[in-house]
Amino acid sequence: MATNYYLPEDHAPLPPKHAEVLTTACDYCIVACGYKVYRWPVGSGNGGLKASENAFGVDFPTSALQDWVAPAQHNVVIHKNMPHNIIITPDKDTKYVNTNGDSSMRGGLIAQKCYNPKTPTRDRLQSPMVRIYGTLQPVTWDFALDIAAEVGNYVIDTHGRNAYGVKTYSYQYIENTYAITKYALRHVNTANFTFHDTPSDVTSTPGFRDAGFDNFGPSYDDWGAADTLMICGTDPYETKTVLFTQHIMPGIKGGMKVIMLNPRETAGVAYVKKMGGMHIDVDPGTDLLVLGAIARVIMENGWEDSEWIKQWVNNKWESSSGFGQGTRNTPWQWRTTWGKFQTKGYEDYKKWNLEQPEYDPEYAAQYANIDVKKIYQAAEWLAKPKADGSRPKTSIGIEKGFYWSNNTGNTEAISTLATICGAGGRPGQVVGRFGGHQRGGQRGGKFPRAKSPEKLPGRRKRAMDTDRYTYAGHTRFAHVIGTTWIQAMCGSQGLQRKFMELVTQNEHQVRSYDKQEIIDTLKARADSGGMVVINQDIYLRDPIGAKFADIVFPAATWGEEDFMRANGERRLRLYQKFYDAPGQSKPDWWIIGQLAKKMGFDGFDWKNSNEVAEESARFSRGSRKAFNMVKVAAQREGKTLHQKMAEFGTDGIQGPVVYNYETGELFGTKRLHDTTKSKEDFIKMGQENGPTGANVVGKKMTHFNSQTGKVNINKHPWSLFSDFHEWLSPKDDELWFSNGRINEIWQSGFDDVERRPYTTQRWPENWVEINPEDAKKRGIESGDQVMMYSDRVPAFKDTLLGVEGNNFQFSELMKRGHIELSKAAVTAVAIVTDSVKPGVLYANMLDTRQPSNSLTARVVDQISGNYNYKMGVAKIRKLGESKYKTEFRSMSWVPRNIG
Amino acid sequence: MKIIKSDKDQARPLTDEDKRKQTAAEHGKCMVSRRQFLMYSSSTAAAASVVTLNLFPGTAEARTQKARVVGYPRKLVAKVSQLKDNKPIDFNYPDDGKGTQCMIAKLGVKAGGGVGEGRDIVAFSYMCTHQGGPLQGSYKATDEHRTLGQCPFHLSTFDLRRHGIIVSGQAYQSLPQVMLEVEGDNIYAVGVLGLLFGRNDNLTSA
Repeated sequence: MATNYYLPEDHAPLPPKHAEVLTTACDYCIVACGYKVYRWPVGSGNGGLKASENAFGVDFPTSALQDWVAPAQHNVVIHKNMPHNIIITPDKDTKYVNTNGDSSMRGGLIAQKCYNPKTPTRDRLQSPMVRIYGTLQPVTWDFALDIAAEVGNYVIDTHGRNAYGVKTYSYQYIENTYAITKYALRHVNTANFTFHDTPSDVTSTPGFRDAGFDNFGPSYDDWGAADTLMICGTDPYETKTVLFTQHIMPGIKGGMKVIMLNPRETAGVAYVKKMGGMHIDVDPGTDLLVLGAIARVIMENGWEDSEWIKQWVNNKWESSSGFGQGTRNTPWQWRTTWGKFQTKGYEDYKKWNLEQPEYDPEYAAQYANIDVKKIYQAAEWLAKPKADGSRPKTSIGIEKGFYWSNNTGNTEAISTLATICGAGGRPGQVVGRFGGHQRGGQRGGKFPRAKSPEKLPGRRKRAMDTDRYTYAGHTRFAHVIGTTWIQAMCGSQGLQRKFMELVTQNEHQVRSYDKQEIIDTLKARADSGGMVVINQDIYLRDPIGAKFADIVFPAATWGEEDFMRANGERRLRLYQKFYDAPGQSKPDWWIIGQLAKKMGFDGFDWKNSNEVAEESARFSRGSRKAFNMVKVAAQREGKTLHQKMAEFGTDGIQGPVVYNYETGELFGTKRLHDTTKSKEDFIKMGQENGPTGANVVGKKMTHFNSQTGKVNINKHPWSLFSDFHEWLSPKDDELWFSNGRINEIWQSGFDDVERRPYTTQRWPENWVEINPEDAKKRGIESGDQVMMYSDRVPAFKDTLLGVEGNNFQFSELMKRGHIELSKAAVTAVAIVTDSVKPGVLYANMLDTRQPSNSLTARVVDQISGNYNYKMGVAKIRKLGESKYKTEFRSMSWVPRNIG
Repeated sequence: MKIIKSDKDQARPLTDEDKRKQTAAEHGKCMVSRRQFLMYSSSTAAAASVVTLNLFPGTAEARTQKARVVGYPRKLVAKVSQLKDNKPIDFNYPDDGKGTQCMIAKLGVKAGGGVGEGRDIVAFSYMCTHQGGPLQGSYKATDEHRTLGQCPFHLSTFDLRRHGIIVSGQAYQSLPQVMLEVEGDNIYAVGVLGLLFGRNDNLTSA
């Protein structure tokens, strides 16, 4: 772990002419900026100041926006067993994404991610380990894999497939996610499976799915091409920087108006306001009311996009023609919510909206604690026709602050508002997610929903809530891949307590050198109702690896293997290997392959990551990042898929990819649901008479993801959420507690804030922003060490079957005793700032040492099954002064909205 | 290990690495930087000088130590009597070449690395350490806070009370802080913490 004792350096080497140049993209946020890796052997001579003497081909000192090497962009790695210098800087030549070679601070410092024993990366996992006598001890791959395979098979045979739980990242490269899902879903075939950011394998944006919007339909150009852009639940400057600086900022400078909807004012919001935009500073969880009110004002004024609605919105018969949700694809089974969402079309929605008292702008503004004028102003900006009668081009983007506050309600409401404004499906008129992690998921198996014990009212099965299933003691074997699981979930201190009970406090602990005895002990643990934990990761994470794992597999990661992944505009790139993975660490696809083979599964004989990628390619067909045709083209050219991807460099290619067999050209897809795509476009792609060869030209390329290809305009009832919101609303001395990302830290935090001295210096520990008004009442000043605590952390404690329509309504669950109230306590350093609204606390989302999520409600959205991570309450009191209050070395108390 | 050596390489001008091999032994325990300072003849390489460093006043780490900083010129940049609170004065350092635009300001509040009676006189580079954006004219005093930024390019903001640490933004390091020394009414620049944008070495000027 790095400390905050960072020593600035005043020199950095330049890459010499003889440096090899490889391309990659940043490992962190969704934007995935293109980078160049310069690599040359240590001792072979560095570059000089003259253009003719360095690999950049520019004279040093350079001028603004030219190439430059910050000391932290240099590192020394082992490549083919020899020490090499590397310099990793943003690619100045890339045509897309980070045009001009822009970067965030996170990506800009990514050279520090590489393993180097002289840096805080020295604790990378390098050997498989088995916990013997309470200590994780290095063993051989075979020893560790034999144990995992035999115990895994035993648990499946004895306790059923659902007893084998797999909790994995969803994003860490196509090759790995394909191998993991092929193993877990197709071969183990467990319903006890989910990804890092949700307790259940369910859609993150139920409203988008119901409406027919893809999460990542828009292109980055679209986000800067609107007249009005509404941004909900994020400040893209902080969370997907280069999307803001290279696409949204130029749009703003060109006159684009921006409306930001969230409770906090950060640097991007301050910039937007300075440039004439608007900040709607809602209280947590009240977005739905404001959106419903804006929609009402638009409709009352007749500002809706009638042409668009006429052409592209489903009427009663069209929306009843099938939602693809129920097992028999019939409307009554759709969400089995008995008409709570479905409408007969625009007029029906309008009638419903006008009947709901809560969408009265005065009421909505009062409940959301905002100035009502903003509702009217927003309605004008979003939809009021201009003086010449033309409509403003409106786009809407959302992210987690929004869809993890009232998951179903908010996403239904924003989809409907977007449709009323004519957003979706045209250049500069789009709707989508901005994104968090990059898109590296490729399924190699189907989730066995029929095996899930979760049943909602009606006949619908929902994916298993793995937290609750584990909490109830049903998970006997937890296979955790690249996620902390515990702190990343809600109400996490309760979950950790359960892990302790099932794993470390179980009487069956390994106290033997003998492999068979170890296996028998772990089997006995599972039989006794306990749980065995195996963990694949690049660092030993606490507690999942450090305290709970019985077996640890060391993983290789970015830069240590050739991998493929897409960004937030579906742009696929090859992330090239440029140095040797440390020790015996191996990529996750390899680990899974070895384990699967030992368990007796076939189809895991891959020799390298390209083979995995090529196998996965055909499963990508029809998806938003379909890359199968890249493989087809590669094979016709006598290349591998990875070789072909490498040719695209940092420019990459946007999925879905179409191949013209006649010309041999590959075509990316700029935006999905592109209603402006012409016949000529298809002629150019060689698909004028329908898909040729292996091409799949899916509906989503030109239409929306519904049965008819048109948009469903849906209702967004507040009542599904209102009882929870009222119950949770701060009582007595409580404040709203929300959490999220901060610009300088990559959200997972495992390799930047903990192992990058400059980032550690900036944010040495958990922090909480508190408004001066709230701070004063409690005697809290910037730099004080504070305790945030709550005895109102509701946790859904059991898996139950829903029978009646309201069985999963929060108030009903409380009444029936399915919710227990637990406690949580998290410390932090206070930052008193008006960048957060009065009555609201805002902390880092995932400091694993001081986990904020323990304060948030472990109650899933009753429709979708997602957590509303951004919703909690806490009391806060001063413990004393932190050392940061009086020293000048690290942290900063300057408000983030000083523009 | 593969060493790249050709006749061409032999004939090339000294690279950074080559020069480093030819410098004096690593200087003492200067916590400013561990660089090996250039001893060869150059317009910017001044004679060795001894300066007093007090980087973190008021903290447990605050201890005055003698550091032998070799190379940075000692340059008169302002007079104490000339400085008014929150009115930055511009100067160039360590030479007059590219990327040397700096400012010195009396913040009116105590700051990390601050000199003068109030420990409130500090100096920083004007070049954003992200992509070299000019920070001239962006000095702000807001309540007890003192900042440079937002950078016009990508909005980075720096905290001048905390050694130029990034408040919010995209820079790869803190804003380089120019170390100061006060002698009577004279304020001298004597070194730089952190690499100036555009340079590969603060003491190389084209």
